[in-house]
Amino acid sequence: MKSGTNMKRRSFLKNTAIGLVGLPLLSSTYPYIAPSDKIRVAHIGMGNMGRAHLNWFSDFADVETVALCDVDEVRLGEKLKLLQEKHPSTKTDTYTDFRHVLDRKDIDVITCATPDHWHALVAIMAFQSGKDVYGEKPLSYSVHEGQVMKRIWEENEAVFQLGTQIHATDNYHRVAEIIQSGILGKIHTVRLWKTGGSPGLGYPPVEVPPDTLDWDMWTGPAPYQDYTPVRCHGSFRHFFDYSGGVFGDFWCHIADIVSMSISPKGLYSIDTRGERPWDGIADTPRWIEADFKFKDLDLYWTTIPPPVPGAEKMNIGAHFEGTDGTLTCDYNTKIIRIGNETMDDIAEIPKTISRSPGHQRNFLDSVKSRQQPESNLGYAREMALPMYLALISFRLKRKLKWNSDTEQFEGDPAANYLLSRAYRAPWSLPG
Amino acid sequence: MLKMKNTVLFGLLAMLLLSSCLPRKDSGLISLFDGSDLNEWSLGPEGGFEIIKGELYTRGEEGNDLFTKKWYCNYVLSLEFMLSEVGNSGVLIRCDPESAWETGVEVQLLAPWTPWRDDLHCTGSLYGHVAVANRPDESTGIWHKMEIRCDRNAIRVSVDDSMTTLANIDTVITMEDKLICGAIGLQVNHAEKEGQYAKFRNIYIRDLDVVPEYVCEGFYETDSVFRSQAYTAALNLGAEMVELLALTMSGEDPLAISGAKQVLFDIVARATDPQGDQKYEKDVAFALHNSTDGASSEIVKTYLVWLSGMIKNDTDE
Repeated sequence: MKSGTNMKRRSFLKNTAIGLVGLPLLSSTYPYIAPSDKIRVAHIGMGNMGRAHLNWFSDFADVETVALCDVDEVRLGEKLKLLQEKHPSTKTDTYTDFRHVLDRKDIDVITCATPDHWHALVAIMAFQSGKDVYGEKPLSYSVHEGQVMKRIWEENEAVFQLGTQIHATDNYHRVAEIIQSGILGKIHTVRLWKTGGSPGLGYPPVEVPPDTLDWDMWTGPAPYQDYTPVRCHGSFRHFFDYSGGVFGDFWCHIADIVSMSISPKGLYSIDTRGERPWDGIADTPRWIEADFKFKDLDLYWTTIPPPVPGAEKMNIGAHFEGTDGTLTCDYNTKIIRIGNETMDDIAEIPKTISRSPGHQRNFLDSVKSRQQPESNLGYAREMALPMYLALISFRLKRKLKWNSDTEQFEGDPAANYLLSRAYRAPWSLPG
Repeated sequence: MLKMKNTVLFGLLAMLLLSSCLPRKDSGLISLFDGSDLNEWSLGPEGGFEIIKGELYTRGEEGNDLFTKKWYCNYVLSLEFMLSEVGNSGVLIRCDPESAWETGVEVQLLAPWTPWRDDLHCTGSLYGHVAVANRPDESTGIWHKMEIRCDRNAIRVSVDDSMTTLANIDTVITMEDKLICGAIGLQVNHAEKEGQYAKFRNIYIRDLDVVPEYVCEGFYETDSVFRSQAYTAALNLGAEMVELLALTMSGEDPLAISGAKQVLFDIVARATDPQGDQKYEKDVAFALHNSTDGASSEIVKTYLVWLSGMIKNDTDE
């Protein structure tokens, strides 16, 4: 249960938000926000995404950047310097152990841009310490972690937004509206793709970690491996020890549009084909194709674009096939193709979904209103789930049957074993 | 004295380090032809080969080349052959019988009668690809021994216990597109004269890809093609590879460590397949259990325990 102090702080923030809505025009250009009304934010994980978090959040007038945290002192110092250049008056503390950040009662929100194998535990411990979380994707390392995250999130009535910033675009909202309008009829097939896969990363020898890096802490709940730089910053994602490769990384960006539009239910079968890299110590898919069977939908993932018009120019895209037409959209160009026609919009389809004020703003507003943001934990977990199951099928090299009610594979104990992974001591998930 | 001690110690250490792949036992020879039948072979529609008094004859008539039913990648093939005065046969290795000459190479068997029997085309040569370095005894009418060793990128031919040919296929441009696994073929005798023949006896093979120590060595191959071949062979061997791979993981070669780690996972994955072979599963579970107790490194031990959990889960329920 959350502490009384935080409860009070949250109520206070909520009341303040209502107050501001009541008096919207007092000072519209540079609204003065009293320090006590600001959302106090700490950033955990100071790599490239951590820098993005820092830039995004520190620019909001109602955000106070209170703390930065990373197990790598070099990265930590670099990001503090960036922040100080941007906001010279900032008073920001630095930490190498995120638990010290969570101990601080004056922090409302943490953002998490650690490697994937830390996502769940950082968020869970933050919820338990009464904080809200803006967490990077993927949601967690394992399915089990996602389940525990959801439970602790609910128990603590915490606010969580997954960092799929594409979700907030007008383009994604519009695609969802077009599909929901029924103009394509009933959607029976979806094809998703993301070109490229994990590189092998060669066969580097093990090294002594730099003094400025706490490799043991970086490893955290993952199985301990001897240090070599490619296992760490920038390429950890290509190791099953920490992540699920390019597939695990990009899944939620493009599967998001499927969940937004038709929220598929009743997944019951997962089959994959694919290969690991052959030229290095990395072991996540060099390429992967996954076939998912939902109750009323066939969903396919491929590493090369599907043979549909326009797809070949899209690195990461989605193709919806309905009884009355098809729609192709993507992550980068924001092009929408209906059948063989490229269009900006279909004017006659009404706007039915309210737009996001921006992914981070949506989160901060939610922190104040105590309403969940668009990519909240419940939504994000369901959206991400098929990805984990496909990786298990990829690793076991077999087709798997899934029970979406019990969230267990049927007749395959080894597959169920891979839904979770025991934490390395002293780390543990709440029981 | 101290120095000597160190040398001995170093030697012991080196042996320990290498021991992950050192042969522990001599694996058996498999007979491909022992004089009684051609069960291991596919006889072509036009024949061309027959067994006479326990010897496999091919004569100067119409007929088809004879191929093993099974494909082999790395092996030691030994046989005895005899040629008549104008005998002309050969042993096709790593070939697809559908297009044996394009996909594989022929180890030549040729009596010394033709005018063009140079070192690139005589007995023991990889016909047209690699010449003999040592010309063998080409006497006709007597039995000769031949041994062909296909060892990843190295092909070694010996006749009568002397090496004739050693080829590194990576350096032979004309062999660039050749298969690295395939059937073994015996060429029908090409001599057109009546009464001419080539004949064979005592054809044995030692399939190296079922020898765990040999397969394990493949994990250190820098050529990914042969590494991948070793991975497949290891996966097929299953339990027999577990301890060797665990030892390999405790070594220092990142190439071999990562391969061993991945293939150990694949072995356990196959073992836990609900539709899979129960003996494979039982043997792998047992081997994992044994290797875990002996694992010298904490990282390896943790990994093996984790893998055991995956398979234990399977049998407990």
